[in-house]
Amino acid sequence: MMRATTTFPNRRHLPLAIRVGTIALFLLIWEIAVRLGWVDSLFLASPRDTFANLAATTTLALPHLYATMTTFAVALALGVGCALMIGLLLNASGYARITFLPLLVLGVTIPKVTLLPLFVLWFGIEKTTVIVYAALSAFFPMIVNVAAAGTEVKPNQVLLAKAMGYGHSQVYRKVILPAMLPVLASGLFYACNAAMMGVFIVELALSRFGMGALIHDLAVTFRTPELYAAVLLTATVTAVINMGLWYLARYLGRWRT
Amino acid sequence: MPRPSPMVARLGFILAVLIVWEAFARLSSVSPILIAPPSAILWQVVRIIAGISTVPDFYVHAWVTLRELIVAYAITAIAGVGLGLTFASSKVIGDAFEPILLTLYAIPKVILYPLVVLMLGVGLLPKIVFGVMVGIFVVIFNTAAGVRQVEPSYLRLAHALGYRRAQIFFKVILPAAAPTILAGLRLGFGYTIIGVVTAELLVINAGFGFLIDWASFNYFTPQLYALIVLTLGIGVIGNSLFSILERRWVR
Repeated sequence: MMRATTTFPNRRHLPLAIRVGTIALFLLIWEIAVRLGWVDSLFLASPRDTFANLAATTTLALPHLYATMTTFAVALALGVGCALMIGLLLNASGYARITFLPLLVLGVTIPKVTLLPLFVLWFGIEKTTVIVYAALSAFFPMIVNVAAAGTEVKPNQVLLAKAMGYGHSQVYRKVILPAMLPVLASGLFYACNAAMMGVFIVELALSRFGMGALIHDLAVTFRTPELYAAVLLTATVTAVINMGLWYLARYLGRWRT
Repeated sequence: MPRPSPMVARLGFILAVLIVWEAFARLSSVSPILIAPPSAILWQVVRIIAGISTVPDFYVHAWVTLRELIVAYAITAIAGVGLGLTFASSKVIGDAFEPILLTLYAIPKVILYPLVVLMLGVGLLPKIVFGVMVGIFVVIFNTAAGVRQVEPSYLRLAHALGYRRAQIFFKVILPAAAPTILAGLRLGFGYTIIGVVTAELLVINAGFGFLIDWASFNYFTPQLYALIVLTLGIGVIGNSLFSILERRWVR
């Protein structure tokens, strides 16, 4: 930290220096731990071996990753679509919202993963199971946010717009949608996160489709450096997508105020 | 006709779903392997709790899951609040580490689970570690956000009144941040359960995961449904406990 302050006299760069330093130190200890045999390289791949395998593993993994991402996109669209439809319908009546919201909130917090064996029973070891489970994972956080977004719309603004002679679709486009958008965007972030978790849980459990199956196979056959490379690749792709949505939600939230 | 209260309407809706489900399970031609009627599930739940069902060693396995959950949640809560306070206390540390945390949060943790299993084996430890990995982020973020939301004027006032650092922390910052921190702890509990149960279902060894796998492998459908209901029940009970706590402490 002393070195960091002297090389970066500008305090603005200090957090960045600490961050880079910590990550470098972490990777160094990790590398040393494997090299000196503190941890068996059968169970932990060193950063160097991981990077050495990255190119080859990426070539191997790309078709699987593509399959996973298509499944994920279908599931997310299904879950978010259903949540939007039912949620907007629910928003039409304050009474319906108060009645059903506690049940929907419960749907977010309970461990839905225990339903997985049931879905396997109904839909088989098939892609349908992956899509249904991931869509359900996305549905609950999204619909709770749709309901929350409904409360952002101020009735007197709608009334004012109508009094100014706005048509039905104009009120929707110019008043209701802009008010709801930030909360909907943050709902999409949580839904996307949940759907991704859902897709990978089922793919790992079924070990038949996509990136989850590949990671599972690499793990059980102890191809550790390739496993770490595959996980690194998947983590990078998913993190980029989720972070993108996170910044979108934040941007929309700031734009409102 | 006056509308019934939302609570009554909600219970009515749940009852209607259960009746339709019961009728469908009993009257339709769908195989009883796929669907069990609610009455049979309830009967199984009662038998499992009374210890007279065919489910092997229910309380032994329930205790395994519960132990994992308690340890994982204790770590999640203590380390999560501690890290959150650390990040909020210093702008430099917060700015330095929060991007790393956000990136880790954005990764679906379950793809890291095979790595955890490879390192730690198949016992209790990987389930506890995974429970913490899934649960801790929301606790950290909420704690840090709660502390940052404290009105700066309160802090200036406390300074002017000659409060010491520890006094400011316990008498001003903590009470003001409590609602957000508690909300984070509640969400963190839900995520920790998800983590522990996911871990148990992916590497079947003991606990509820083992029992659920036993029931589904043998096509003991009513038992399977009953075990699922019991697992979901832990989540519901835990969540209601937190709601009660929040209502008592936060006014």
